[in-house]
Amino acid sequence: MAYLYGVTAQKPTAVTACATGNFTSENDLNLIVAKNSQIDLYLVSPEGLRPLKEVNIYGQIAVMKHFRPADSNKDLIFILTARYNAMILEFKMIRDEINIITKAHGNVADQVGKPSESGIIAVIDPKARVIGMSLYVGVFTIIPLDKDTSELKATSLRMDEHSIYDVEFLHGCANPTIIVIHKDTDGRHVKTHEINLRDKEFTKIAWKQDNVETEATMLIPVPTPLGGAIVVGRESIVYHDGIVYTAVAPSIFKQSTINCYARVDSKGLRYLLGNMYGQLFMLLLITEENPKGVLTVKELEVELLGEISTPECITYLDNGVLFIGSRHGDSQLVKLTKIKNENGSYVIPMETFTNLGPILDLCVVDLDRQGQGQIITCSGSYKEGSLRIIRIGIGIQEHACIDLPGIKGMWSLKVGIDDTPFENTLVLAFVGHTRILTLTGEEVEETEIQGFLNDQQTFYCGNVEYDQIIQVTPLTARLVKCSTRQLVSEWKPPGDKRIGVVGCNPSQLVCASACDLYYIEIEDGKLVERNHKALEYEVACLDITPLDENKSKSDLVVVGLWTDISAVIITLPDLETMYTEKLGGEIIPRSILMTTFEGINYLLCALGDGSMFYFNLNKTDGSLTDKKKVTLGTQPTILKTFKSFSTTNVFACSDRPTVIYSSNHKLVFSNVNLKEVNHMCSLNAEAYPDSLALATKNSVILGTIDEIQKLHIRTVPLGEGPRRIAYQESSQTFAVSTFRTDIQDKSGLVPARPSASTQTQNITMSANTLPKPGAGTSGSNSEIGQEVETNNLLIIDQNTFEVLHAHQFMQNEYVVSLMSAKLGDDPQTYYVVSTALVYFDEAEPKIGRIIIFHYLDGKLIQIAETKIDGSCHSLVEFNGKVLAGINSFVRLYEWTSEKELRMECNIQNNITALYLKAKGDFILVGDLMRSITLLQHKQMEGVFVEIARDCDPKWMRAVEILDDDTFLGSENCCNLFVCQKDSAATADEERQLLPEVARFHLGDIVNVFRHGSLVMQNVGERTTPTQGCVLYGTVYGAIGIVTQIPQDFYEFLHSLEERLTHTIKSVGKIEHSFWRSYHSGQKTEPCEGFIDGDLIECFLDLSREKMRETVEGLEMSVNGVKQEATVDDVIKIVEDLTRIH
Amino acid sequence: MSVSEFLKGLPCHNEQNFSLFNTENGIRTSLKRPSVYLPTEDLPSEQIIVTEKKNILLRYLHQQWDKKINAPKRRDNSEVGGDASNRKRPRLERETN
Repeated sequence: MAYLYGVTAQKPTAVTACATGNFTSENDLNLIVAKNSQIDLYLVSPEGLRPLKEVNIYGQIAVMKHFRPADSNKDLIFILTARYNAMILEFKMIRDEINIITKAHGNVADQVGKPSESGIIAVIDPKARVIGMSLYVGVFTIIPLDKDTSELKATSLRMDEHSIYDVEFLHGCANPTIIVIHKDTDGRHVKTHEINLRDKEFTKIAWKQDNVETEATMLIPVPTPLGGAIVVGRESIVYHDGIVYTAVAPSIFKQSTINCYARVDSKGLRYLLGNMYGQLFMLLLITEENPKGVLTVKELEVELLGEISTPECITYLDNGVLFIGSRHGDSQLVKLTKIKNENGSYVIPMETFTNLGPILDLCVVDLDRQGQGQIITCSGSYKEGSLRIIRIGIGIQEHACIDLPGIKGMWSLKVGIDDTPFENTLVLAFVGHTRILTLTGEEVEETEIQGFLNDQQTFYCGNVEYDQIIQVTPLTARLVKCSTRQLVSEWKPPGDKRIGVVGCNPSQLVCASACDLYYIEIEDGKLVERNHKALEYEVACLDITPLDENKSKSDLVVVGLWTDISAVIITLPDLETMYTEKLGGEIIPRSILMTTFEGINYLLCALGDGSMFYFNLNKTDGSLTDKKKVTLGTQPTILKTFKSFSTTNVFACSDRPTVIYSSNHKLVFSNVNLKEVNHMCSLNAEAYPDSLALATKNSVILGTIDEIQKLHIRTVPLGEGPRRIAYQESSQTFAVSTFRTDIQDKSGLVPARPSASTQTQNITMSANTLPKPGAGTSGSNSEIGQEVETNNLLIIDQNTFEVLHAHQFMQNEYVVSLMSAKLGDDPQTYYVVSTALVYFDEAEPKIGRIIIFHYLDGKLIQIAETKIDGSCHSLVEFNGKVLAGINSFVRLYEWTSEKELRMECNIQNNITALYLKAKGDFILVGDLMRSITLLQHKQMEGVFVEIARDCDPKWMRAVEILDDDTFLGSENCCNLFVCQKDSAATADEERQLLPEVARFHLGDIVNVFRHGSLVMQNVGERTTPTQGCVLYGTVYGAIGIVTQIPQDFYEFLHSLEERLTHTIKSVGKIEHSFWRSYHSGQKTEPCEGFIDGDLIECFLDLSREKMRETVEGLEMSVNGVKQEATVDDVIKIVEDLTRIH
Repeated sequence: MSVSEFLKGLPCHNEQNFSLFNTENGIRTSLKRPSVYLPTEDLPSEQIIVTEKKNILLRYLHQQWDKKINAPKRRDNSEVGGDASNRKRPRLERETN
């Protein structure tokens, strides 16, 4: 059996629907946005869109519409899910809290119907009398909205029109009347049907129009007094109301089809139209009064307003501001202006909403060598194409930055201001000198403190007791009166020795000079040396931070020693050694620190190689227990404490800055999203409250730190659609395959717009070497004005993300797969690219290439190419050879010493071998429609052998090997499944099967799986026994994780999950078990073997009371013994689980 | 007509909306995520959506049957409607085919 835990790290971001209405109250203007299975509710405010709630629906939202019942002053939402769950929702404020009332719900699926080819359509009568739905071929389903019954009956009406493109309700009709665009052998037609709600039948056809606009796809109903509808075709628009017929065919429509609209004013004279090119148009109906005094449409006018994100839906908010929902790129908030801007546009972008979808490919790399992965995705399509760099960590919000290279130490001070809690001074140490900055408001300027030594490097500086400041330099420790800024006392080590290292707190100072340790107390106006001791070895670092926060005195000094590499605990003031801990190894300790997290005392000791030991410290006897080691960076690390949100944290300054804090009595190590921090101090200045000052190589950053770690997304726009990505460490580059749209011109192909492949310095091209079989020359015979997709291979710098090189492929040649590999005995690392020549009159590509490129010294050189008899959909490096899935074949090529690819073996047992993954000698194949197959490569015989296969048909989208026997797959109906090989089976037939052992409805299509992790591996303690980690990217822009868990943990989580389904009520009253059940055209089976991590994590957001109710009677096993779990036990476990992403 | 004419008098719900939106720092990227709605109270739903269990063809036949039953009754009530019965007859025959 297989037990898996799946959780979403990044919720879906692609917008599928949006609407503006008065949802939360009659006076509130709200925006609702649907993102696959999630709804975001916003309030329109003077400051912009204010997010109110994120609502999860147990289903993929196929339709979201809003309507206003006749007697209401608020709008309701109607949602229909992909699995035909219908619901009517109302947002209601109860005690200042937003509540969602499911006013009606039910499933409208038909057991026998054939799903409509144009997908699920649902529309609502403008008078809210009835909901109409086109779900299945040949029927139209209505739900009359009777208020007085407890049951709303969904009834199917027979409809003669079979191919339905769009349906709408007409305005101003006595009986609800629909208008449809349908297609038959003659073309596309528009027809109206009046509905008799009492008898539940279509009564009459008010009017119809045969052969409307070519490729008519969309209807826009026009409100009264005009009525009628606008029919949008590919290149033209027509208004029709049964009598008046007015058309317009603007030349600007030629480029792309209109795919969404928004009505601007309630009278319905103005509409916004968007197309797949990201053009925004306005359509205006110009009216006149006919002789009878009735207002009719005289003509239509269309104007291009400007460019927006490729829209999926548009809604008008208020005062000329629109929300543009996109599934191909970022969604936007834009404003319309009457004045044309410098780009000739009437559209001003105001805000963007990041969207990662559709994620076609991703790779996981540790670019900064920080011990944690970053995801680079191929996101967006067409002009919205981009790479997204996603990493988890604690963010620093930078508020100011000062250019100052070479900082060796940094401290914040309060100088001459007694009546505020704020600090106003930063002391910066450099080699051989010290500089002082004073902060006045947001201004920073250099100053001097008279009592300070400025021509020495400061080792320590700080406010101490009796309103004094201490500065320690290599020569002396100096005590300065805060009020006068004059030196009041000075201490020097005897015999003019130099101070090496310092530890200080508000009342004590410990200085070390080689082996000598001096203990000095800070008194009013004087520094008094109390004790001295010679240690065995030289002191490398020391600390006297008081363990009790409320005390200004420490009873202990901790010292890190050279030579024997030890940490020593010494008493104060007696300087008696209490405890010595040998750290082992040869790397000297560079920074040592005592701290208290959640009431537990720790000793942290960072070494010169970036690793750190930590211990529990017993305050009474100085003993160190529970020794643990972590690697934080690769350079000497400096530890500093700071307070954030009133909890103690430790900042580890290094090439991988890390924040160390405690959660549930365990240390947590979180990456900080900065490349390098050399020194830091906390800063609480008036203009920079609760901030940190961070010294990097060349500057000081003043900023605040995020409370929790989260995903950070950076966008690298490409302006063309990326399809595949591969990383190559040796050349420090990424290879990305992209496609852009070119337009056939008299002189040849011209790119439609500038994009990554057209803007780089180095461009090479593939010569036309492969003619189309039987067609003479390959077809550059396109008509003028025709769009042609041009494929490119981009080489991108891993640090700057600059496009270093673009290689353009032949016309009709598509890049299908891409990898970086080391082949055979060849020391070079190559990019291996597979292509296919795609002609639209061929059912399947018949010809393609595998090309070996080498990127060296800024040049992309083609090393070899081999012609293949099909499309190579997948490439995998396989024991130094190239494994390729070519149409129905899986084939292995070896790399010869002549630098040629030579076919070694071949197997044909697929419809189309789309996806390949390999481990050892085993190969997992994902087929177009025949699920997954496991192959073995027999090296001695040089053949492939089929080991086992899943016999259940599945249209595959991605595959991954979890372990030697366990295989994960994603298929076309938004399900995940796991198959397991049963090597122990006695019968041959059983061994040849890959039975499905786990299944889960994800509700999103996974396009790519990759092994890897977003969080630091092997750092800190973890109690959750997760094994392996697979990341995935989806069509709707979600990123998630699948990991294996042991059976007993699965059973515990399963029990918690089951309880949570009762605690957390489902919006729309869809059962959680229904939502997660595996569902495809062929079968529906209950979810098994998978834990829904998204539901489990909801536990942490429950009130304490609800948590208690949920865990009541829940059993967990502790060291093999079952015992009842407490709320705190469960919080700990779930918090740990959240830390895997 | 010029585009600015097109854009005249765009609808206004509350003129304060977006008035304080700060565009000086260029295009904003929204990072804010609202809190997740986690209902723990079971709020009953007023209405349940059910599907007509009856097959579409059966329902059609029943409708026709009802008409057939009802039609003579109407005839009984109003003897004059001879024409009506003539009108109905061919339709009924067509249905039974």
